[in-house]
Amino acid sequence: MARTIEFTDTEFMIAQGARLIEDGKTIFVGWGIPQVVAMLAQKLYVPNVTQLFEFGAIGPQSVLPFVRGTMGGPQNTYRSLQWLNMNWAFSYSATGYMDYGMLGALQVDPYGNINSTHLGGTFASPARRFAGSGGGNQVASHCWKTIIVIKHEGRRFVPKVDFITSPGYLDGPGAREKAGLPRGTGPHRVVTSKALFGFDEESRKMTLLSVLRGVSVEEVVKDMAFRPLLAPEIGEIPPPTDDELRVLREEIDPDRFIIRGEKMAAIA
Amino acid sequence: MTTDRIRTEGGVEYRFVHPDDFREHVRDRKGRSPVPKLFTAKEAVAAFVSDGDYIVYDFSSLTRGPQSLIREVIRQRKKELWIGAEFTLHESPLLVGAGCATRIDVGFLGYGNYIGQAVCDGRVKTYEWTNGGLALRILAGARGVPFLPTRDMLGSDNMKVSAAKSITDPYTGDPVCLVPALNPDVAFLHVHQADVLGNARIFGTNLFALEAALASFRVIVSAEEIVETDEFRKDPMRTTVPYFLVDAVVHAPFGAYPGAMPARYEIDLDHVDRLNAIRTDEQMGKYLEENIYSVADHDEFLDRRVGAKRMRELRRRATIIEGYR
Repeated sequence: MARTIEFTDTEFMIAQGARLIEDGKTIFVGWGIPQVVAMLAQKLYVPNVTQLFEFGAIGPQSVLPFVRGTMGGPQNTYRSLQWLNMNWAFSYSATGYMDYGMLGALQVDPYGNINSTHLGGTFASPARRFAGSGGGNQVASHCWKTIIVIKHEGRRFVPKVDFITSPGYLDGPGAREKAGLPRGTGPHRVVTSKALFGFDEESRKMTLLSVLRGVSVEEVVKDMAFRPLLAPEIGEIPPPTDDELRVLREEIDPDRFIIRGEKMAAIA
Repeated sequence: MTTDRIRTEGGVEYRFVHPDDFREHVRDRKGRSPVPKLFTAKEAVAAFVSDGDYIVYDFSSLTRGPQSLIREVIRQRKKELWIGAEFTLHESPLLVGAGCATRIDVGFLGYGNYIGQAVCDGRVKTYEWTNGGLALRILAGARGVPFLPTRDMLGSDNMKVSAAKSITDPYTGDPVCLVPALNPDVAFLHVHQADVLGNARIFGTNLFALEAALASFRVIVSAEEIVETDEFRKDPMRTTVPYFLVDAVVHAPFGAYPGAMPARYEIDLDHVDRLNAIRTDEQMGKYLEENIYSVADHDEFLDRRVGAKRMRELRRRATIIEGYR
């Protein structure tokens, strides 16, 4: 019998991100939401994934609950395989050992270029200023496949980002290699609070792959300031499972600092 | 290098010291003799930090950061500082809010609305080097070379607002990014243990503790605990920084407060939330007055603003010991 499940947009985004992580692979995890995605994945789906944090925590198995805002704390880096520093951490990605990278973003464009530096105005005189790259530029430059996790809001999906903080496919096919970035790298998926996107092999443009159960393609596309390519068949993503929600709400973020958001519902 | 090898360059101002000038500083000004260097924070900051200095720190405002030294810099109202904001959360809003810092190499600019607004208002200039780029600049400074190459930053707009250059690599013929060495004036390291000579130990990860100590003109270590030199000789794998890189040792229990010191005390999230909530100059002024200007030093801050009860509680909550000793 059909049952309706209630969740927030953030919970859905985290849950579908967690399902994308492959077991037995390595993943370079960015600050913020990607940490929570990786925690959920490791708890439920991928016990043999090796996470890496930019300051040199190799293979951490975070203690839950998540201490908001922290990344380098004893909870985050618990039971790592190795503790190093930043220059060594980026050596693991620069030599090709990082299968996946996972990053949040302020803005993203059709080529998967990420802006986390400023919105509006100019760089010298921005309308709003944010934290900038952190290690995101290295993650997006070095990892074989970069997964971008971003709320599905129109102002975040723009034809051209205000500032390329971390490189996607830049201005199209071949542009990464031409700039000198490592061959065969680039954005792989964009995980949002409504849908999942990939990138077209030929044009390198963002392509809608699937949508949350009960959400139409038009609902997804009307929220974006550019029109993505559409996969020949658009898949359906199930909403968060009971297990995913239980781990998120009871184990990872009992105070709901991270997982709160817009209320949503779907058929379980 | 002929100039036609250069493909792109940002051309903005950047901190640079010729490696020979740094070497001569090391030859002439850094003592090799193992002598006690215990200072109070007040003495160390007064002696080794000047207006206009470039400063870096390790690790984070939430974990093992040299927060008592940052507060002392603010208390002494240093001016025109240029900060290397790597893994930075609260250092930048506090230093800019207090009028101490006017230029920031980013890194990670910082947390909260205050610092972003300060950039928008033109109160502080930023240059975008990225975390990896800044760490590599400090490694170059630590290796005594003028630059190091890397295969990131390329294609991004950070190349336009830093002094990184894209050149044609003479080995592959492909474009490669170069970043110039960074030799900061001062590095602040907060460590678990140090001896009076300056040998220092960090337990856990770090940003670039050894690189920053090697690359910086002056190094101030603040330590939770002062131990005997023999402790280092018994377990040399665990030495983070040897004494001759260090100019001053400050004994600073709870020096990372309100951040955590792994295996010693936990983060004070209530205090961190107060920092995160600062949006206006009025709120910033109130915070600085209450926690920095109105107390004489770190000890008085701990006694009067934090309190023995809270410190006991934070110590009690530091239950993760595995991996730290």
